[in-house]
Amino acid sequence: MSALDVGAYSPREKGVAGLLGALAAFLLLAVVTGFLAPAYLLYLVGLSAMYMLLSMGLNVQWGYGGMINFSVAAFFGLGAYGTALLTASGSPISGGVSPVIALFGGLGLAAVLAVIIGYPTLKLRDDYLAIASLGLAEVVRIFILNESQWTAGSAGLTGIPLFFSDWPVLGDLTYPYIFYVGGTPLFNMSQSVVTSALNVVLVTAIVAAVYLFLRRIHQSPWGRVLRTIRTDEDLAETLGKNTFAFKMQAFVIGSLIMALAGVFYSHLVLFVSPQDLQPITTFYVWVAVILGGTGSDRGAMLGGFTIVAIQQGTRFLTDTGALPIGAAPLRLMLVGLLIIFIVRLRPEGILPPERELIWPDSLGGGRDE
Amino acid sequence: MAQILQYLANGLVFSSIIILGSIGLSLVYSIADFANFAHGDTMTLGAYGAFVAFGVFGGLGGTVLGLPIGFFLALAVGMALAAVVAVLTHILVYKPLDTDSIGLLITSIGVAFVYRAVLQASFGTDFLQYDIRRSGPIPVLLDTLDVAVTQRDVAIIVSAAVLVAGLHLLLQRTTLGRKMRATADNPDLARVSGIRTDRVILVMWVVGSALAAAGGVFLALYSQLDPRIGFNILLVVFAAVILGGIGSVYGAMLGGLLIGMLHELTPLLGDIGLPISNAYAPAVAFVIMVAVLLVRPRGIAGDMT
Repeated sequence: MSALDVGAYSPREKGVAGLLGALAAFLLLAVVTGFLAPAYLLYLVGLSAMYMLLSMGLNVQWGYGGMINFSVAAFFGLGAYGTALLTASGSPISGGVSPVIALFGGLGLAAVLAVIIGYPTLKLRDDYLAIASLGLAEVVRIFILNESQWTAGSAGLTGIPLFFSDWPVLGDLTYPYIFYVGGTPLFNMSQSVVTSALNVVLVTAIVAAVYLFLRRIHQSPWGRVLRTIRTDEDLAETLGKNTFAFKMQAFVIGSLIMALAGVFYSHLVLFVSPQDLQPITTFYVWVAVILGGTGSDRGAMLGGFTIVAIQQGTRFLTDTGALPIGAAPLRLMLVGLLIIFIVRLRPEGILPPERELIWPDSLGGGRDE
Repeated sequence: MAQILQYLANGLVFSSIIILGSIGLSLVYSIADFANFAHGDTMTLGAYGAFVAFGVFGGLGGTVLGLPIGFFLALAVGMALAAVVAVLTHILVYKPLDTDSIGLLITSIGVAFVYRAVLQASFGTDFLQYDIRRSGPIPVLLDTLDVAVTQRDVAIIVSAAVLVAGLHLLLQRTTLGRKMRATADNPDLARVSGIRTDRVILVMWVVGSALAAAGGVFLALYSQLDPRIGFNILLVVFAAVILGGIGSVYGAMLGGLLIGMLHELTPLLGDIGLPISNAYAPAVAFVIMVAVLLVRPRGIAGDMT
């Protein structure tokens, strides 16, 4: 992850990297000593990466373009439902389609919704956009909850296959899978470890690709126009830019990234339900983005990581029974306080965009960021 | 026909609740200038405050419209609690912030979560009920109009009407009300005219939150009480405020009436054969809201204050 390449960076960046490194070391220690199942750790890594994707998607809309999108959960949910409806054995409409093809089903649904939500709302004032997008996201959730002939309703969809289930080699591994190095068996891996590891590989590839793609477009003339729109939309109009078109493009790109996260989620958890579309999902992602730093993709990654830490940390703390408060309210409280304190104390986030906005060449040494 | 009358009667009760909620939201929008996402949870807070107080005063005195006198005392406690919490939130959270209306909007989501977390931690997520016996429909109305309206429904409508009338008198007949209207209209002009706008803003939080709390109490009385009732209804209240015209208190009342009615008239769509079930009532309200934003963002009451 980019948060880890320590070079000539500010003390804060080094601090964040050090903290993440320490946490990684702690988690590895927990696995080695047997406190934490390896498959579970890999699952957590996958989940963090999923939140990173969601945060990067929102970052395109809010961070680059200044659009307050409160319908993150809807795009995430449509990505998840799109692929689940096509692949799951429990799907009421289709099922059995290869996940690689179904992926595009999820993305397609999200793109259509992005245009439907974006077309009327992107012309609105910022705060109206927030209210309207939250309302439309609720319409999507209510639809999925009630049209059970298509979506299985509140029961949710089960029987979703793994992403690699029908791949030539990866689909027909036998378990326990024994990993040989030079003829000697080195690791004896159970099915859960192998599938979790494959998921991590998959999501790492997606995150890396999205990150590079976003960095490229952010630095392009297109990204520059978008940043102008965020700062002063009238100015951009005066310069002859069709601001609505730019905002629409950013909205669709961001929504597709969120849907990608949803597709991955489906094949990670193997179950989706309307619960996943609750507004709280949207606000988790918002916390991730403003905590990491609005407009900063590295910040979005840090934010995604923090969300999983909150979700799992609260579960762990309440499991020990040391707290007089349930996991759900504790999580809600932490998220709420985080929002209040970030806006109060560090409105620019922990890793605000700095070098990200400058071409590497113009930094002098030509060093790649 | 009787069916439509029944929907309208339900709509009147639901409208009363939405109106109480939308007034406060509109006041905050016009005077503090942000979309307050914690408003729904302020309603919930008031409902729980009244729930606890009702446990104390419950048995008190006779009954008015089928509700014990103790209930109205509990209602007052709930309203006072919400007002105190809102003022404290304003002083501790919103006021020290050096940010724009979007920053305030995002902060208010955090505030909403904190309120809800406290309620959820103290009372759990189970449905609660005020311990008041439900009575059947009023016989006269059932016989003559074939409409089922309970005493409780009438009590909600009457109480809301009293509160709204009180607000109207406050706004129109008192100096404080004139100051509030002036501040909502143009805060800078109000300040240079010698109005202490800081105090007016505090009053606005007190009035808005107390009315919201009353709405929350009646909502809990009408259906049931759980930590999500306020947030679940928040978007419907936003729809009412936007339909009425942001910043206009009277517009918010009108918007609340219309949205509440439309919400309860949704089954009519199913009755005439459209595949839209009752569950889509909030969705209908949201779609109307988006349509209003597109066609007439100033709302029906425009800039009237």
